[in-house]
Amino acid sequence: MPAEIGKGKTIPPVVKHITQEKINLYAEASGDFNPIHVNESFAAQTALGGTIAHGMLILAYVSEQLTLAFGQSWLSGGRLSVRFKAPARPGDIVTVTGKIDSIEERNSISYANCRLECRNQKNEAIITGEAAVKLAGDIPFCHPDPERSEGEGFREGRDSS
Amino acid sequence: MQDKTISYEELVPGYEFPPASYELSDSLISKYLKAVDSSEEIKGFGEFVPPLAIAAYALAATAGSLSLPPGAIHASQELEFFKLLPIGATIDCHAKVARKLTRGKLCMLILELNVFDQSKERVQSGKATILLPT
Repeated sequence: MPAEIGKGKTIPPVVKHITQEKINLYAEASGDFNPIHVNESFAAQTALGGTIAHGMLILAYVSEQLTLAFGQSWLSGGRLSVRFKAPARPGDIVTVTGKIDSIEERNSISYANCRLECRNQKNEAIITGEAAVKLAGDIPFCHPDPERSEGEGFREGRDSS
Repeated sequence: MQDKTISYEELVPGYEFPPASYELSDSLISKYLKAVDSSEEIKGFGEFVPPLAIAAYALAATAGSLSLPPGAIHASQELEFFKLLPIGATIDCHAKVARKLTRGKLCMLILELNVFDQSKERVQSGKATILLPT
């Protein structure tokens, strides 16, 4: 297990700016043209009051964070469970944060159990959830940029409790 | 994508949606990576299909044969990744209704998703909870 991975370590955040253009691009790429995402006049008349980003778009940002932190260990051995707590809207700046809650050994394999959050610029929770990453000994931290993987993969967690 | 759709009212627990196949072509994945505003560092994993792209297409395959009312909202998602796939791979997406609940004005649909590659090996599984307006 790489020395950087340990209980309490903070996973470097990912920050994204949500725009209607990005939501429209995601609709085209995924084929999800639910009007709540892409039809501004329809969405304005709903209880949400306007268009919202696809939950899977925001979840892609969560996966980006975990990919940068854990590399192939995440891509081929990750498990994720999230709740979409509030919508992300055009104009929002969302920040995905995460922390390793525990390292667990099962059948001689280490797993990093992580707590995840995505919040908007008003500090409202957009997504909350957990991820578990199988830390296979031969594919730790496969970050494509070796300098970053050695130096910036994880930070010491600040006690936020 | 299917021509026929089934409405939410017709769904029952255990209903299996028609399986759908997707070729995860270079152009499809490039479009996805642009849509999710991927960082340059993520593009360093460019030979592999991002697992969330696979999940998105599995959901799209289900949505293509399901008629949901406008305003349906994704409430929660579980995913488990088993295998990396290279760009150009073809996936088979299977989905079924795990649960269907109606409580007052709230309707909840829980879908189970399973994705396999052409060797019939499981690539990904998941569970999506969708809230629907009545």
